[in-house]
Amino acid sequence: MNEPIIELQNVGIAFNAQLRLGAPRFWALEDVNLALPRGARLGVVGRNGAGKSTLLRVLAGILAPDRGRIRRGRASCQLLSLALGFVPYLSGRDNAILSGLMLGLRRREIERRLPAILEFSELGDFFEQPVSSYSTGMYARLGFSVAMQVEPDVLLIDEVLAVGDTEFQQKSGAALRERIHSGTTVVFVSHMDAQVRNVCDCAVWIEHGRSVMQGPVDEVLAAYHAAAPVAEVAQ
Amino acid sequence: MRLHWLELILFSTYAELRAERARSYLGFLWWIIEPAMNMATYYLVFAMVLKTGQPDYVPFLLIGLTLWQWFKSGVSHGGLSIWQQLNLIRQVRLPLQVFPSVQILADTVKFAFILSLLLVILWAYGYKPNITYFGLIPVLLVELIFTAAVAYLVAAFIPFVPDLRFVIEQVLQVVMFISGVVFSLDSIPPDLRRWFELNPIVELIDAGRDILMYARWPDWIALGRVTAISLAFFALGTYLIRRYTPRYVKLPT
Repeated sequence: MNEPIIELQNVGIAFNAQLRLGAPRFWALEDVNLALPRGARLGVVGRNGAGKSTLLRVLAGILAPDRGRIRRGRASCQLLSLALGFVPYLSGRDNAILSGLMLGLRRREIERRLPAILEFSELGDFFEQPVSSYSTGMYARLGFSVAMQVEPDVLLIDEVLAVGDTEFQQKSGAALRERIHSGTTVVFVSHMDAQVRNVCDCAVWIEHGRSVMQGPVDEVLAAYHAAAPVAEVAQ
Repeated sequence: MRLHWLELILFSTYAELRAERARSYLGFLWWIIEPAMNMATYYLVFAMVLKTGQPDYVPFLLIGLTLWQWFKSGVSHGGLSIWQQLNLIRQVRLPLQVFPSVQILADTVKFAFILSLLLVILWAYGYKPNITYFGLIPVLLVELIFTAAVAYLVAAFIPFVPDLRFVIEQVLQVVMFISGVVFSLDSIPPDLRRWFELNPIVELIDAGRDILMYARWPDWIALGRVTAISLAFFALGTYLIRRYTPRYVKLPT
């Protein structure tokens, strides 16, 4: 396997549980080891509260480890964040620019992509209206269209594979699948086996903040379910 | 800071002002009406009721209030900004100085309106424009840096102790009264006055009054001292925000 883009060694992350003097810290991640090779599509599986989303934010560079080590190659990592930083009173166009800037695009790059955003989101004249007048579906469509304009080296996805109404779900799902299979490195958190099998070529299993196993999807899922209570497998 | 973040700051400032305008019927008229009402209140209480009667009290008060309001709103808005954006900060990596900077710039745009209004009033009172107006440029620039410095420092700590936000307004109120905004500090004995003048706001407002009322150039040595203090605080604020950034994202929601 080639040189990993990101490598975690015995990484632990502690949070402050509440705003109170002397409040205990809790370790959302205890001991995670992980190697993410360039071009890999890694699935993250584990129960609720195992630390999967925390792990994604570590990979995104938002959370710095309180113990252990991270080695990063030169690569941009970005969470797929929908409607990031949207302001209700601003038009769809202004929000697209604002959100794009926050996601790390240059102003002129966003301006160049505005027609594509407008077209993909199917907002028409509403693009110039404040997003506070949007329906939930329209809001989601704009959020997704903007998020898809960012092309990081490592794309981090937390559960979301498609948004909006039935029709837009198909369209957004197809667009995201295309992005995922275009050779980008992907880390994908999901509860659903079928999705992980579809998207990923390898997987890591996180349990109580520890990485238990990393390997081929089928082996990891099999081991995970062998250890899981039956009730949870049903889903 | 990279050019890209400058673009974000400028566009966010535009967004902030635009959203604010959309939130009321009178829109940006409030940027003038609100401070004008504020000035009228002080005028009513201190000039009419309490008869704080030195000659030239009206221009004295209006200049003080204008320069003070800019500083005050920058600090109170900028100081809360990181705390208010914690949810965003948990999702994306940004240099966090962006957030206080946006608030300060938005308040600076509003200040520009009020300053124009102030100049018109002063001219109507007979204080004519003069060559020392050029001295306003460094004075305002230093005030901007000092405002940003204090806002950064406050913004760096509020996320850890959000309770401080209940205290800030009160502290600012006290600072206003010891900054010679409403009362002249001339009545204070000189050896005590030295301590008051350590406060950069005192020097900045003095410089403003010198220029606008007496056509005198600012006290350059005092201004140099204030510049040094402002830059030092600004560097400290920037350092603290950068240093604490990894800890903000771990604070409880």
